[in-house]
Amino acid sequence: MRSISFILRHWTTALGILLLAAVILMALTAHLVFPGDPYDMVGAPLTWPGESADTLLGTDSLGRDMAAGLFYGARVSLLVGFASALVAAIVGVLVGAFAGYYGGWTDDVLMRITELFQTTPQFMLALAVVAVLGPSVTVIILSLSAVSWPAVARLVRGEFMVMRERAFVHGCVVAGMSDLRIIFAQILPNVLPVIIVMSTILVATAILMESALSFLGFGDPNVLTWGTMIGMGRGQLRDAWYIIAIPGVALLLTALALNLVGEGLNDALNPRLKQRKG
Amino acid sequence: MSAPRRNLPFRFIGKRILQAVLTILGIAIINFFLLQLAPGDAAEALAGEAGTADAGYLANLRREFGLDRPLWEQLATFLMRIATFNLGYSFRYGETISTLILSRLPATLLLMATSIVIALVIGILFGVTAARYFNRLPDRLISLVALLFYATPPFWIGLMMILVFSVWLGWAPTGGMRDITAPDGGIAGVFDIARHLALPALTQAFFYLAIYTRLVRAGMLEVLSLDYIRVARAKGISEQRVAYRHALRNAVLPLVTVVGTNIGGFLGGAVLTETVFSWPGIGRLMFDAMLQRDLNLLLSILVLSSVFVVIANLAVDLIYPVINPTVELR
Amino acid sequence: MSAPLLSIADLKVRIRGNPQARLLRGVSLSIDRGETLAVVGESGCGKSLTSLAVMGLLPDGLEKSGGVIRFDGADLPVTDNEAMRKVRGRRIGMVFQEPMAALNPVFSIGDQVAEVIHEHEAVSHAAAMARVVDLLTQVQLPEPARIIHEYPHRLSGGQRQRVVIAMALACRPDLLIADEPTTALDVTVQAQIMRLLHDLQDDMGIAILLITHNLGLVAQMADRVAVMYAGRKVEEATTRMLFAAPQHPYTRGLLAATPRPGRRRPGEPPLTEIPGVVPAITEMPSGCRFRPRCMLASDICALEDPPFVDGVACHRAVSRELVP
Repeated sequence: MRSISFILRHWTTALGILLLAAVILMALTAHLVFPGDPYDMVGAPLTWPGESADTLLGTDSLGRDMAAGLFYGARVSLLVGFASALVAAIVGVLVGAFAGYYGGWTDDVLMRITELFQTTPQFMLALAVVAVLGPSVTVIILSLSAVSWPAVARLVRGEFMVMRERAFVHGCVVAGMSDLRIIFAQILPNVLPVIIVMSTILVATAILMESALSFLGFGDPNVLTWGTMIGMGRGQLRDAWYIIAIPGVALLLTALALNLVGEGLNDALNPRLKQRKG
Repeated sequence: MSAPRRNLPFRFIGKRILQAVLTILGIAIINFFLLQLAPGDAAEALAGEAGTADAGYLANLRREFGLDRPLWEQLATFLMRIATFNLGYSFRYGETISTLILSRLPATLLLMATSIVIALVIGILFGVTAARYFNRLPDRLISLVALLFYATPPFWIGLMMILVFSVWLGWAPTGGMRDITAPDGGIAGVFDIARHLALPALTQAFFYLAIYTRLVRAGMLEVLSLDYIRVARAKGISEQRVAYRHALRNAVLPLVTVVGTNIGGFLGGAVLTETVFSWPGIGRLMFDAMLQRDLNLLLSILVLSSVFVVIANLAVDLIYPVINPTVELR
Repeated sequence: MSAPLLSIADLKVRIRGNPQARLLRGVSLSIDRGETLAVVGESGCGKSLTSLAVMGLLPDGLEKSGGVIRFDGADLPVTDNEAMRKVRGRRIGMVFQEPMAALNPVFSIGDQVAEVIHEHEAVSHAAAMARVVDLLTQVQLPEPARIIHEYPHRLSGGQRQRVVIAMALACRPDLLIADEPTTALDVTVQAQIMRLLHDLQDDMGIAILLITHNLGLVAQMADRVAVMYAGRKVEEATTRMLFAAPQHPYTRGLLAATPRPGRRRPGEPPLTEIPGVVPAITEMPSGCRFRPRCMLASDICALEDPPFVDGVACHRAVSRELVP
């Protein structure tokens, strides 16, 4: 009984977890459910969803299976999203931790650099990195982390500035603990909940930005992504709008799921905020 | 009614301008090293496909950048070019790059300003309503809408809006900034542009609308619990006026800074919106530069957009103390 | 004898949806025109809640569940927000405890005081501003013509409280509710503000409902005193009578905990405090709610909540002990 009411109270989080699990499952089983190349033609072009039993979600203008694209696209979205969020989190934590812990000129220099990256329009910078280094999954992950780490750095810096003044940190200093140990073994675990919540949102943002890159035609040409599907469907907007609608909904639900999970984690991990909500 | 406005101290203005100049310098340096990462000769990379047709252009670039000189000298040349707005010449467009970008800027600014206004007006309306009906139906609905807008890829919303409002309903054109047949000026001309502007501006606005809704809601909830709101109620003022005059003014002030930091986001988003709606601004220009692999044009747009963001943030910083009487300048 | 200006009869307030959580359990008070009634008690006893209920400004989640409030011969429609707006600020002014937080930081002093006048009277802005300058003069703020252009953060706490008082008096109300008006202020400023309130009362003939836990203020200001404990009135008397012959053990405890210079006779015990704290709303004892802290408590005190008779609600009140 208790768990039912718990789930009801947190049904949005539950929904997020469920959706996210579904997307992960799609990514993991793509090669089992659709053994062929998702770029292969499997049916008549522009078959509407439900029209043919072989291709339940229809085919695009080149007769490729929409459902297969959806499954394989989930792989790229999740890979790019999680990998770039991870890189961004690591860089952001390093920069933010040192800036917040040491303060003074270290803080000044690091924050000025962070500001530079925040000032440059994010998506334009990501595009420029892809333009210079060429579109591949690795470059895209790099470019998206390059534009996402500043937000983490700012957040972590703020948390570290607060933590630094806590009694237990003073205790560690007095006990002669090294700065690095205090930063990573003492303070970081306390800041981790905030970082985890932020990272969830970063994954969502990165997935959306990757889809935007591939929508414009600057994604990795070797893999099929949801953004690519939308971009290639643009020409058929009038008569086969499902080609755009289906991957778009997949993107929306994935980003939504990550946001819901992020909110749930925030409620669960940050008692401070929960209190303020009353 | 109005109090005597305090004059901004010159030291504050001077400090902020110096910071802005340093930021621009930093951005230029990042761009320079980004260029160094490109495979091959920088001149070839800069020229891309646009330059391959023209050997003179290539030679020109090599000379302008001093590619045979040491790195720091190249950097100095690069910075000088940016400082003097000498960004090179685009053979494809037959114009200097600075003129090209400046001629595209107004369209982007119009789109950006319109979507900021839409996002602010609706965001504030939603945020205030949600806060006043905290945890009741209107609050839940608005929070849901905000969450959806926040999670939807904007270019996809754009395409869906074209499908619904242009293809199915025929209310708005599918793209462009004006009809060929429409008159150039006058009310009809303005109306024509407005018709073209509506969908892209809405598309751009949705994401930020979601952010502003959340911020205003949170800010209002905080402010509404403060003492001076109770004092205002004790004066006999209507709930409407308490919410929109006393609380909103305080809840919305932080939003000014947030809008300032979002300017870069709007510019980046413009690449997508302008591509989807064939809007002739710098976002579309950047997309074309990507297609033609014209790195020089691309990086010039990036640098100038960043400069624009720096100036916008500077403006916000200078305006903020004027609109917020509680800020004491240091 | 004319009807009192404000009469509260059997006022009950509870947490919405929770009939057990009775925050006010039948409070009755009355104030005549020009009179000062002090309501005293520890924090959490319901004295501020009573005043907010009169203003129709109960916090979210609380509701009035019974009782009648009459003001100037008519029922006060405390649950009708629109109707109450015509009373708030115009007929009843209110001064709060925290002057530092009571003013909106983004509006100038002049605008905030003038807002009350504009809300209730159709006057030009120039006329309203002229009145604001007069009001600020009345509350003895220096350079009122300059202060109307200032923002709150430039004023001291005492100055802000004067502004709040000016705001409360702007429409010449009949009643001023002052909820701990000086608690947050320095001692010297406290005295100034209380003297100001006293002078204004003499000038304007307004009634004051003074809510405080400071018995020193009560002695200076009040004509009559009502003592509240755990959501009800436990004693009421003229100020002189209350100080001279307190009936309720709680009142006696309060008085014993208040320093009175020059009043301590040799042999009298030094300051004592009432043991324990006000119980939480969910843990109220049976019978008399003061029982667990009362040194005189006997069996009967656990059986029933004592009725309010002859100015006191106590089974063991002094006067009753005397009558067999």
